[in-house]
Amino acid sequence: MKKTVIYSQKLEKKFTSYKKEPGLLGSLKSLFVRNYITKKAVKDFNLDIKQGEIIGLLGPNGAGKTTLMKMFTGIVVPSEGTLKILGYTPSERDRLFRKKIALVMGQKSQLWWDIPAMDSFLLLQRFYEIEESQFQKRIKTMSELLDVDDLLHIHVRKLSLGERMKMELMASLIHSPEIIFLDEPTIGLDLISQENIRNFIKEYHQKNKCTIIVTSHYMADVQALCERLVLIFDGEKTFDGPLSKFETILGKEKNVTFNFSSPQDPTLDLWSSFEAQWDSHKIQVDLRIPEDKLRSVALNIIKDFPVTEFNTEKMPIERVMKTLMKNPQIVKQLNGNNGPHELNGRN
Amino acid sequence: MGHALKWWQTIKISWSNHTAYRMNFFLQVIGPALVFFFVKYNLWSSIYSDESVEIIKGYTLSQMIDYHVWAMIVGLLAKGHSALNLSEDIRLGRISNFLIYPFNFWEFHTASFLSFQILQTIIVSISICIFWSLGILSIPSASILMSGFLYCLFVSCFWYTLQYLTGLVGFWLEETWILRVILEILTAFLSGAIIPLELYPKWFVSILEWTPFPYLTYFPIKTFMGQNSELIASYSVVTIWIIIFCFINHIIWKRGIKLYTGAGM
Repeated sequence: MKKTVIYSQKLEKKFTSYKKEPGLLGSLKSLFVRNYITKKAVKDFNLDIKQGEIIGLLGPNGAGKTTLMKMFTGIVVPSEGTLKILGYTPSERDRLFRKKIALVMGQKSQLWWDIPAMDSFLLLQRFYEIEESQFQKRIKTMSELLDVDDLLHIHVRKLSLGERMKMELMASLIHSPEIIFLDEPTIGLDLISQENIRNFIKEYHQKNKCTIIVTSHYMADVQALCERLVLIFDGEKTFDGPLSKFETILGKEKNVTFNFSSPQDPTLDLWSSFEAQWDSHKIQVDLRIPEDKLRSVALNIIKDFPVTEFNTEKMPIERVMKTLMKNPQIVKQLNGNNGPHELNGRN
Repeated sequence: MGHALKWWQTIKISWSNHTAYRMNFFLQVIGPALVFFFVKYNLWSSIYSDESVEIIKGYTLSQMIDYHVWAMIVGLLAKGHSALNLSEDIRLGRISNFLIYPFNFWEFHTASFLSFQILQTIIVSISICIFWSLGILSIPSASILMSGFLYCLFVSCFWYTLQYLTGLVGFWLEETWILRVILEILTAFLSGAIIPLELYPKWFVSILEWTPFPYLTYFPIKTFMGQNSELIASYSVVTIWIIIFCFINHIIWKRGIKLYTGAGM
């Protein structure tokens, strides 16, 4: 049995802010009368993560993912509940605790802009008290893996976003952390850079057996990296289980797309039984076919229609995520119908 | 040992940061001080040019000019540091990184202050040489000069704790620049940076001596001029104020960090 590295029980975070009307008058008014609003960014959050897992933390903007990450790393103090990371209470910010974690923020740089990345690494070497030979070895391995050996001595402000992100990753991993928090590590990167970063993280995880929590809006990241997903909606955990289970929470049908050489008649009975969605030229259709009928239905269509191309969906997770984000009430219904235990593969 | 290395490396990094934009740095630090001095120089010269005025409250013109050159030097050396970025860093969530590193935020900030002071010491030494070679400033003995430098550096630590406090207010207030402006203006008037304290009524000065203000400019100037007979008392008072402000800062930080939201991340 692997040991628990992240444990939370009834974790909660409230933020208080006040409404301010626009303009100077609004500012003056707010000096005297303030309507405070308390918002629960995270509610009743229970989590148990074992050593060596890679967890994808998913949810729409403002769902509370980043607030969770900030609580995990000790940046913000929880309002209620228990939180233990590697046995430490993060908000106490014990020096030993801080030596064991790392946070990579895709939207925020932790490198110093006006100096080369190597200078930042040297500073971090001192902060984390890393032995010189270890330090040199890690810099060498990581810079080769990320292919940035010739960029180490260039001022950070002159690097491209992709190059900078690689440096950010190196900076966060230089002390071999036990838990790595990646907050949208591939945001704003081109496809190749995204893939490079993903591959690097994957390889790093395999070699070092560390625990990784990653948030991302790119389902490709999640698909490539995570075995387990935790879904958060409006501050609440709505799903916690393996990726394969998440892909099928809306049903076990497969999405198949057929392309035809000529326009087809969409009114046939065949189509309506598979929730057909046609393009405007009627030469492409998306069908949802039950898993057990996939072979027979597909064979029939290929036989009876001028099919030029067909494929099954590469990333069902993207569709599931989109559907849930458009209709958050589905999550509640699913939870209601199946009970949270059914949906939450782990609780 | 490991901890000393952290400090040293941070000081080096801050040094690179301070000097990355040299022209900007020069204009920001030296520019206003020079302009201010130029105004005061002309003002006092014209006051003393009246034939009936030779001595004002014990100051001859050259002593008055000396006073103001030293005021500028003290301003650069003891009160040069500004925590302008601190409250902004808090408000914009930029201190998040430092909450994660195993090197505390105040340590980083203080190391950065130390490197700034090293830089200021160099700038001030060059300035003194220039003023001296222009014949505007009479240089006291080396031991007095050294004593002045040391006292100023000590006072700068006090100024730093005060600045740090105005920065920490950023946990509560969205804008803290107005606080700093008020502090600057009050200090300018009450510390003797604009006119020597001898020109104020006696009862007022005796009240002032109970506040930290005279120790920020007036006493350091007097030390440079070799006229501070109460050096030990001056050190003691500043020490007490440093302890008080360190304590307040510690409490304010502990409370403030609970409100920190790490915005924009």
